[in-house]
Amino acid sequence: MDQQSQLNIWLASIANKDPQAFRSLYDATSPNLFGFLLRILIKRELAEEALQESFVSIWNNANSYRPHLSAPMTWMTTIVRNKAFDLLRRQDATVEMDNDSFDQDLLNTMESTALTPNDNLQLTQDAQALARCFTKLEGMQKQAIVLAYYHDTSHSDIASQLTLPVGTVKTWIRRGLERLRVCLTSAERA
Amino acid sequence: MNILNNRSLREQLAAAYVLGTLRGAARRRFETLLAGSAQLDADVEAWRGRLNPLAEFAGQQTPPEHVWQQLERQLNLSGTDRQRTKSFWREIAESLNFWRGLGLISSAVAAVLVVMLVMKPAGDAMPAPSMVAMLVNDKAQPNLMLVADLKHHRLTAKILATQTVASDQSLQLWAIPKRGSPKSLGLLAKNGSISLPLPEYATGQEIAVLAVSLEPLHGSPDPNGPSGPVLFTGAWQQI
Repeated sequence: MDQQSQLNIWLASIANKDPQAFRSLYDATSPNLFGFLLRILIKRELAEEALQESFVSIWNNANSYRPHLSAPMTWMTTIVRNKAFDLLRRQDATVEMDNDSFDQDLLNTMESTALTPNDNLQLTQDAQALARCFTKLEGMQKQAIVLAYYHDTSHSDIASQLTLPVGTVKTWIRRGLERLRVCLTSAERA
Repeated sequence: MNILNNRSLREQLAAAYVLGTLRGAARRRFETLLAGSAQLDADVEAWRGRLNPLAEFAGQQTPPEHVWQQLERQLNLSGTDRQRTKSFWREIAESLNFWRGLGLISSAVAAVLVVMLVMKPAGDAMPAPSMVAMLVNDKAQPNLMLVADLKHHRLTAKILATQTVASDQSLQLWAIPKRGSPKSLGLLAKNGSISLPLPEYATGQEIAVLAVSLEPLHGSPDPNGPSGPVLFTGAWQQI
Protein backbone atom coordinates (compact mmCIF):
# COMPACT_ATOMS: atom_id res chain seq x y z
CA MET A 1 0.00 0.00 0.00
CA ASP A 2 1.32 3.46 -0.82
CA GLN A 3 1.92 6.03 1.90
CA GLN A 4 -1.05 8.17 0.91
CA SER A 5 -3.58 5.32 1.15
CA GLN A 6 -2.12 4.33 4.50
CA LEU A 7 -2.50 7.88 5.84
CA ASN A 8 -6.05 7.98 4.50
CA ILE A 9 -6.97 4.80 6.34
CA TRP A 10 -5.46 6.08 9.58
CA LEU A 11 -7.36 9.35 9.27
CA ALA A 12 -10.62 7.46 8.70
CA SER A 13 -9.91 5.41 11.86
CA ILE A 14 -8.99 8.56 13.80
CA ALA A 15 -12.37 10.02 12.82
CA ASN A 16 -13.74 7.04 14.78
CA LYS A 17 -11.42 7.89 17.69
CA ASP A 18 -8.97 5.03 17.23
CA PRO A 19 -5.92 5.85 19.41
CA GLN A 20 -3.72 3.22 17.75
CA ALA A 21 -4.26 4.72 14.30
CA PHE A 22 -3.47 8.11 15.84
CA ARG A 23 -0.17 6.85 17.22
CA SER A 24 0.71 5.36 13.82
CA LEU A 25 -0.14 8.60 12.05
CA TYR A 26 1.90 10.57 14.59
CA ASP A 27 4.94 8.32 14.16
CA ALA A 28 4.74 8.48 10.37
CA THR A 29 4.20 12.22 9.96
CA SER A 30 5.55 14.05 13.02
CA PRO A 31 9.23 14.15 11.88
CA ASN A 32 8.25 16.01 8.70
CA LEU A 33 5.81 18.30 10.47
CA PHE A 34 8.19 19.02 13.37
CA GLY A 35 11.01 19.79 10.92
CA PHE A 36 8.67 22.23 9.17
CA LEU A 37 7.65 23.84 12.49
CA LEU A 38 11.25 24.27 13.62
CA ARG A 39 12.00 26.15 10.43
CA ILE A 40 9.07 28.50 10.99
CA LEU A 41 9.35 28.98 14.75
CA ILE A 42 13.11 28.38 15.33
CA LYS A 43 12.65 27.88 19.10
CA ARG A 44 12.21 24.23 20.04
CA GLU A 45 9.69 24.84 22.81
CA LEU A 46 7.47 26.85 20.44
CA ALA A 47 7.73 24.17 17.76
CA GLU A 48 6.81 21.49 20.31
CA GLU A 49 3.81 23.49 21.48
CA ALA A 50 2.63 24.01 17.90
CA LEU A 51 3.10 20.31 17.11
CA GLN A 52 1.03 19.31 20.11
CA GLU A 53 -1.74 21.78 19.28
CA SER A 54 -1.73 20.61 15.67
CA PHE A 55 -2.19 16.96 16.60
CA VAL A 56 -4.98 17.85 19.03
CA SER A 57 -6.65 19.54 16.08
CA ILE A 58 -6.01 16.52 13.81
CA TRP A 59 -7.58 14.23 16.42
CA ASN A 60 -10.61 16.49 16.87
CA ASN A 61 -11.17 17.30 13.19
CA ALA A 62 -10.30 14.06 11.40
CA ASN A 63 -14.02 13.62 10.71
CA SER A 64 -14.05 16.80 8.63
CA TYR A 65 -11.09 15.73 6.48
CA ARG A 66 -12.29 15.44 2.85
CA PRO A 67 -10.25 12.80 1.00
CA HIS A 68 -11.74 13.70 -2.39
CA LEU A 69 -10.43 17.28 -2.11
CA SER A 70 -7.01 17.00 -0.52
CA ALA A 71 -4.24 14.52 0.21
CA PRO A 72 -3.77 13.66 3.91
CA MET A 73 -0.37 15.37 4.13
CA THR A 74 -1.77 18.51 2.45
CA TRP A 75 -4.53 18.67 5.03
CA MET A 76 -2.19 18.15 7.98
CA THR A 77 0.41 20.61 6.67
CA THR A 78 -2.29 23.30 6.41
CA ILE A 79 -3.27 22.70 10.05
CA VAL A 80 0.37 22.81 11.18
CA ARG A 81 1.19 25.97 9.23
CA ASN A 82 -1.89 27.78 10.60
CA LYS A 83 -1.00 26.76 14.17
CA ALA A 84 2.56 27.99 13.71
CA PHE A 85 1.42 31.37 12.41
CA ASP A 86 -1.20 31.67 15.19
CA LEU A 87 1.51 30.99 17.74
CA LEU A 88 3.82 33.55 16.13
CA ARG A 89 1.09 36.19 16.31
CA ARG A 90 0.43 35.36 19.97
CA GLN A 91 4.09 35.91 20.87
CA ASP A 92 4.85 39.38 22.10
CA ALA A 93 8.49 39.20 21.21
CA THR A 94 9.25 38.46 17.61
CA VAL A 95 11.10 35.25 16.97
CA GLU A 96 14.75 35.74 16.22
CA MET A 97 15.18 34.62 12.68
CA ASP A 98 17.90 34.40 10.17
CA ASN A 99 15.60 34.18 7.19
CA ASP A 100 18.23 34.89 4.61
CA SER A 101 20.47 31.92 5.26
CA PHE A 102 17.58 29.55 5.94
CA ASP A 103 15.68 30.49 2.81
CA GLN A 104 18.84 30.21 0.77
CA ASP A 105 19.42 26.70 2.20
CA LEU A 106 15.90 25.74 1.28
CA LEU A 107 16.18 27.06 -2.26
CA ASN A 108 19.49 25.24 -2.66
CA THR A 109 17.87 21.99 -1.52
CA MET A 110 15.08 22.50 -4.05
CA GLU A 111 17.55 23.19 -6.79
CA SER A 112 19.64 20.11 -6.10
CA THR A 113 16.43 18.04 -5.89
CA ALA A 114 15.47 19.21 -9.35
CA LEU A 115 18.92 18.35 -10.69
CA THR A 116 19.34 14.95 -9.05
CA PRO A 117 15.89 13.54 -8.34
CA ASN A 118 17.18 10.06 -7.46
CA ASP A 119 19.16 11.29 -4.47
CA ASN A 120 16.03 12.47 -2.67
CA LEU A 121 14.09 9.36 -1.96
CA GLN A 122 12.44 10.65 1.19
CA LEU A 123 10.79 13.49 -0.73
CA THR A 124 7.33 12.83 -2.15
CA GLN A 125 6.62 12.94 -5.88
CA ASP A 126 4.72 16.19 -5.32
CA ALA A 127 7.73 17.83 -3.66
CA GLN A 128 10.00 16.68 -6.47
CA ALA A 129 7.61 18.05 -9.09
CA LEU A 130 7.45 21.35 -7.21
CA ALA A 131 11.25 21.54 -7.09
CA ARG A 132 11.41 20.98 -10.86
CA CYS A 133 8.80 23.66 -11.52
CA PHE A 134 10.59 26.09 -9.18
CA THR A 135 13.54 26.06 -11.58
CA LYS A 136 11.29 27.84 -14.10
CA LEU A 137 10.94 30.87 -11.79
CA GLU A 138 13.17 33.93 -11.46
CA GLY A 139 15.38 34.10 -8.35
CA MET A 140 13.32 36.92 -6.82
CA GLN A 141 10.08 35.03 -7.43
CA LYS A 142 11.40 31.98 -5.60
CA GLN A 143 12.57 34.07 -2.65
CA ALA A 144 9.30 35.97 -2.43
CA ILE A 145 7.19 32.78 -2.47
CA VAL A 146 9.35 31.09 0.17
CA LEU A 147 9.23 34.22 2.39
CA ALA A 148 5.46 34.29 2.23
CA TYR A 149 4.99 30.54 2.66
CA TYR A 150 7.43 30.05 5.55
CA HIS A 151 7.30 33.36 7.36
CA ASP A 152 3.80 34.69 6.72
CA THR A 153 5.46 37.72 5.18
CA SER A 154 3.21 40.40 3.69
CA HIS A 155 3.69 41.97 0.26
CA SER A 156 5.08 45.15 1.83
CA ASP A 157 7.55 43.27 4.06
CA ILE A 158 8.72 41.18 1.14
CA ALA A 159 9.14 44.40 -0.83
CA SER A 160 11.32 45.96 1.87
CA GLN A 161 13.39 42.75 2.30
CA LEU A 162 14.03 42.47 -1.41
CA THR A 163 14.25 46.28 -1.84
CA LEU A 164 11.64 46.33 -4.59
CA PRO A 165 8.46 48.40 -5.02
CA VAL A 166 5.33 46.69 -3.57
CA GLY A 167 3.56 46.75 -6.93
CA THR A 168 6.46 44.90 -8.54
CA VAL A 169 6.47 42.29 -5.78
CA LYS A 170 2.72 41.69 -6.16
CA THR A 171 3.02 41.23 -9.91
CA TRP A 172 6.06 38.98 -9.61
CA ILE A 173 4.46 36.69 -7.07
CA ARG A 174 1.24 36.50 -9.08
CA ARG A 175 3.12 35.59 -12.26
CA GLY A 176 5.34 33.16 -10.38
CA LEU A 177 2.35 31.33 -8.93
CA GLU A 178 0.64 31.19 -12.32
CA ARG A 179 3.80 29.74 -13.86
CA LEU A 180 3.95 27.14 -11.09
CA ARG A 181 0.33 26.19 -11.69
CA VAL A 182 0.85 25.74 -15.43
CA CYS A 183 4.03 23.75 -14.86
CA LEU A 184 2.53 21.49 -12.16
CA THR A 185 -0.66 20.91 -14.17
CA SER A 186 1.28 19.82 -17.25
CA ALA A 187 3.49 17.61 -15.02
CA GLU A 188 0.31 15.88 -13.75
CA ARG A 189 -0.84 15.12 -17.25
CA ALA A 190 2.55 13.87 -18.42
CA MET B 1 -16.79 41.90 -10.79
CA ASN B 2 -17.93 38.31 -10.66
CA ILE B 3 -15.03 36.33 -9.29
CA LEU B 4 -16.71 32.97 -9.51
CA ASN B 5 -17.13 33.16 -13.30
CA ASN B 6 -13.62 34.41 -13.90
CA ARG B 7 -11.26 31.47 -13.82
CA SER B 8 -7.99 33.38 -13.87
CA LEU B 9 -9.09 35.75 -11.12
CA ARG B 10 -10.30 32.80 -9.08
CA GLU B 11 -6.94 31.06 -9.42
CA GLN B 12 -5.12 34.25 -8.56
CA LEU B 13 -7.11 34.88 -5.38
CA ALA B 14 -7.06 31.24 -4.28
CA ALA B 15 -3.28 31.16 -4.69
CA ALA B 16 -2.77 34.40 -2.74
CA TYR B 17 -5.15 33.14 -0.05
CA VAL B 18 -3.20 29.89 0.40
CA LEU B 19 0.19 31.60 0.23
CA GLY B 20 -0.98 34.13 2.81
CA THR B 21 -0.41 37.31 0.82
CA LEU B 22 -4.15 37.98 0.56
CA ARG B 23 -4.80 40.02 3.70
CA GLY B 24 -7.17 42.25 5.60
CA ALA B 25 -10.56 43.08 4.12
CA ALA B 26 -9.76 41.31 0.83
CA ARG B 27 -9.05 38.11 2.74
CA ARG B 28 -12.28 38.37 4.70
CA ARG B 29 -14.30 38.98 1.52
CA PHE B 30 -12.63 35.97 -0.06
CA GLU B 31 -13.47 33.81 2.96
CA THR B 32 -17.13 34.82 2.68
CA LEU B 33 -17.16 33.78 -0.98
CA LEU B 34 -15.26 30.60 -0.16
CA ALA B 35 -17.89 29.50 2.33
CA GLY B 36 -20.54 29.57 -0.42
CA SER B 37 -18.68 28.19 -3.42
CA ALA B 38 -17.70 24.58 -3.93
CA GLN B 39 -15.68 25.66 -6.97
CA LEU B 40 -13.60 28.13 -4.96
CA ASP B 41 -13.22 25.54 -2.22
CA ALA B 42 -11.79 23.08 -4.76
CA ASP B 43 -9.48 25.80 -6.17
CA VAL B 44 -8.14 26.52 -2.68
CA GLU B 45 -7.58 22.83 -1.95
CA ALA B 46 -5.77 22.45 -5.27
CA TRP B 47 -3.44 25.33 -4.35
CA ARG B 48 -2.76 23.77 -0.95
CA GLY B 49 -1.86 20.60 -2.80
CA ARG B 50 0.55 22.55 -5.00
CA LEU B 51 2.25 24.69 -2.33
CA ASN B 52 2.26 22.53 0.81
CA PRO B 53 5.02 20.23 -0.49
CA LEU B 54 7.26 23.27 0.15
CA ALA B 55 7.11 22.16 3.80
CA GLU B 56 9.04 18.99 2.99
CA PHE B 57 12.15 20.96 2.11
CA ALA B 58 12.52 22.00 5.75
CA GLY B 59 13.85 18.49 6.45
CA GLN B 60 12.83 15.97 9.09
CA GLN B 61 13.32 16.29 12.86
CA THR B 62 12.02 13.69 15.30
CA PRO B 63 10.07 15.44 18.06
CA PRO B 64 10.93 14.58 21.70
CA GLU B 65 8.89 11.79 23.32
CA HIS B 66 7.25 14.12 25.85
CA VAL B 67 5.17 15.75 23.07
CA TRP B 68 3.41 12.44 22.49
CA GLN B 69 3.01 11.84 26.22
CA GLN B 70 1.33 15.22 26.64
CA LEU B 71 -0.98 14.47 23.70
CA GLU B 72 -1.88 11.14 25.24
CA ARG B 73 -2.76 12.83 28.54
CA GLN B 74 -4.58 15.77 27.02
CA LEU B 75 -6.76 13.63 24.75
CA ASN B 76 -7.16 10.81 27.28
CA LEU B 77 -6.07 8.32 24.61
CA SER B 78 -5.48 5.30 26.83
CA GLY B 79 -9.06 5.55 28.15
CA THR B 80 -10.87 5.76 24.82
CA ASP B 81 -10.05 2.31 23.49
CA ARG B 82 -12.86 0.26 24.97
CA GLN B 83 -15.53 2.88 24.48
CA ARG B 84 -14.63 3.10 20.79
CA THR B 85 -15.53 -0.48 19.80
CA LYS B 86 -18.93 0.00 21.38
CA SER B 87 -19.85 3.11 19.44
CA PHE B 88 -18.02 2.34 16.20
CA TRP B 89 -21.14 1.38 14.26
CA ARG B 90 -23.08 4.32 15.54
CA GLU B 91 -20.28 6.60 14.43
CA ILE B 92 -20.19 5.15 10.91
CA ALA B 93 -23.94 5.52 10.60
CA GLU B 94 -23.91 9.08 11.85
CA SER B 95 -20.77 10.39 10.25
CA LEU B 96 -21.90 13.21 8.01
CA ASN B 97 -18.66 13.13 6.09
CA PHE B 98 -19.08 9.45 5.35
CA TRP B 99 -22.59 9.99 3.98
CA ARG B 100 -21.56 12.89 1.80
CA GLY B 101 -18.90 10.82 0.06
CA LEU B 102 -21.12 7.79 -0.18
CA GLY B 103 -24.04 9.76 -1.60
CA LEU B 104 -21.93 10.93 -4.53
CA ILE B 105 -20.65 7.47 -5.32
CA SER B 106 -23.98 5.73 -4.86
CA SER B 107 -25.99 8.04 -7.07
CA ALA B 108 -23.46 7.66 -9.90
CA VAL B 109 -23.54 3.90 -9.50
CA ALA B 110 -27.33 3.83 -9.36
CA ALA B 111 -27.51 5.76 -12.63
CA VAL B 112 -25.26 3.18 -14.29
CA LEU B 113 -27.40 0.35 -12.98
CA VAL B 114 -30.61 1.91 -14.31
CA VAL B 115 -29.05 2.10 -17.75
CA MET B 116 -27.95 -1.53 -17.51
CA LEU B 117 -31.44 -2.63 -16.56
CA VAL B 118 -33.13 -0.65 -19.31
CA MET B 119 -30.79 -2.05 -21.92
CA LYS B 120 -31.32 -5.66 -20.87
CA PRO B 121 -33.39 -7.47 -23.54
CA ALA B 122 -37.01 -8.08 -22.54
CA GLY B 123 -38.01 -11.61 -21.57
CA ASP B 124 -34.66 -12.31 -19.99
CA ALA B 125 -35.09 -14.09 -16.67
CA MET B 126 -34.05 -11.02 -14.75
CA PRO B 127 -35.25 -10.47 -11.20
CA ALA B 128 -37.50 -7.44 -10.77
CA PRO B 129 -35.22 -5.36 -8.62
CA SER B 130 -36.47 -2.62 -6.44
CA MET B 131 -33.33 -1.68 -4.57
CA VAL B 132 -29.66 -1.77 -5.42
CA ALA B 133 -26.50 -1.02 -3.49
CA MET B 134 -22.91 -0.71 -4.53
CA LEU B 135 -20.43 -1.43 -1.78
CA VAL B 136 -17.04 0.20 -2.09
CA ASN B 137 -13.71 -0.26 -0.35
CA ASP B 138 -11.81 2.44 1.50
CA LYS B 139 -10.54 3.80 -1.80
CA ALA B 140 -14.10 4.17 -3.11
CA GLN B 141 -13.62 1.34 -5.62
CA PRO B 142 -16.79 -0.70 -6.20
CA ASN B 143 -16.37 -4.27 -4.96
CA LEU B 144 -19.82 -5.71 -4.43
CA MET B 145 -23.19 -5.15 -6.08
CA LEU B 146 -26.40 -6.01 -4.22
CA VAL B 147 -29.81 -6.27 -5.84
CA ALA B 148 -32.84 -6.71 -3.58
CA ASP B 149 -35.89 -8.31 -5.17
CA LEU B 150 -38.62 -7.18 -2.79
CA LYS B 151 -41.35 -9.19 -4.55
CA HIS B 152 -39.65 -12.57 -4.25
CA HIS B 153 -37.68 -11.73 -1.08
CA ARG B 154 -34.34 -12.58 -2.66
CA LEU B 155 -31.04 -10.79 -2.38
CA THR B 156 -28.47 -11.22 -5.15
CA ALA B 157 -24.89 -10.36 -4.23
CA LYS B 158 -22.30 -10.15 -6.96
CA ILE B 159 -18.60 -9.75 -6.19
CA LEU B 160 -17.11 -7.43 -8.82
CA ALA B 161 -13.43 -7.55 -7.93
CA THR B 162 -11.82 -10.90 -7.15
CA GLN B 163 -11.09 -11.09 -3.45
CA THR B 164 -8.15 -12.80 -1.87
CA VAL B 165 -9.75 -14.54 1.07
CA ALA B 166 -7.92 -17.35 2.91
CA SER B 167 -9.54 -20.80 2.85
CA ASP B 168 -10.39 -20.55 6.55
CA GLN B 169 -12.06 -17.15 6.18
CA SER B 170 -15.30 -15.85 4.75
CA LEU B 171 -17.01 -12.60 3.77
CA GLN B 172 -20.08 -11.71 5.79
CA LEU B 173 -22.74 -9.19 4.77
CA TRP B 174 -24.37 -6.98 7.41
CA ALA B 175 -27.27 -4.55 7.50
CA ILE B 176 -26.50 -1.87 10.05
CA PRO B 177 -29.48 -0.02 11.50
CA LYS B 178 -29.36 3.54 12.74
CA ARG B 179 -30.07 2.15 16.21
CA GLY B 180 -29.24 -1.25 17.63
CA SER B 181 -26.71 -3.85 16.59
CA PRO B 182 -25.84 -4.95 13.03
CA LYS B 183 -27.82 -7.85 11.58
CA SER B 184 -26.18 -10.54 9.49
CA LEU B 185 -27.60 -11.12 6.00
CA GLY B 186 -25.41 -14.15 5.37
CA LEU B 187 -22.07 -15.26 4.01
CA LEU B 188 -21.01 -14.28 0.51
CA ALA B 189 -19.43 -16.26 -2.27
CA LYS B 190 -15.77 -15.24 -2.48
CA ASN B 191 -16.17 -14.74 -6.21
CA GLY B 192 -19.13 -14.58 -8.56
CA SER B 193 -22.76 -14.30 -7.48
CA ILE B 194 -24.84 -15.74 -4.70
CA SER B 195 -28.55 -15.55 -4.01
CA LEU B 196 -29.69 -15.23 -0.40
CA PRO B 197 -33.07 -14.96 1.28
CA LEU B 198 -34.00 -11.32 1.89
CA PRO B 199 -35.44 -10.71 5.34
CA GLU B 200 -37.83 -7.78 5.82
CA TYR B 201 -35.43 -5.88 8.06
CA ALA B 202 -32.67 -5.88 5.45
CA THR B 203 -34.19 -3.11 3.34
CA GLY B 204 -36.12 -1.12 5.92
CA GLN B 205 -35.88 2.63 6.38
CA GLU B 206 -33.89 2.12 9.56
CA ILE B 207 -30.98 0.49 7.74
CA ALA B 208 -28.28 3.12 7.60
CA VAL B 209 -25.49 1.21 5.94
CA LEU B 210 -24.56 -2.15 4.44
CA ALA B 211 -21.15 -3.57 5.18
CA VAL B 212 -19.01 -6.61 4.42
CA SER B 213 -16.55 -7.85 7.01
CA LEU B 214 -13.80 -10.45 6.91
CA GLU B 215 -14.70 -13.28 9.27
CA PRO B 216 -13.81 -16.87 10.27
CA LEU B 217 -15.06 -19.56 7.86
CA HIS B 218 -18.52 -19.88 9.42
CA GLY B 219 -19.06 -16.21 10.10
CA SER B 220 -18.60 -13.88 13.04
CA PRO B 221 -18.66 -15.64 16.40
CA ASP B 222 -20.49 -12.55 17.68
CA PRO B 223 -24.14 -12.67 16.53
CA ASN B 224 -24.48 -8.91 17.14
CA GLY B 225 -21.78 -7.67 14.82
CA PRO B 226 -18.58 -8.25 12.87
CA SER B 227 -15.51 -9.58 14.63
CA GLY B 228 -13.14 -8.82 11.76
CA PRO B 229 -12.26 -5.73 9.72
CA VAL B 230 -14.89 -4.05 7.54
CA LEU B 231 -13.85 -4.25 3.90
CA PHE B 232 -16.70 -2.63 1.97
CA THR B 233 -19.57 -0.33 2.80
CA GLY B 234 -22.51 1.11 0.88
CA ALA B 235 -26.17 2.07 1.10
CA TRP B 236 -29.40 1.09 -0.62
CA GLN B 237 -30.65 3.11 -3.57
CA GLN B 238 -34.29 2.91 -4.62
CA ILE B 239 -34.88 2.13 -8.30
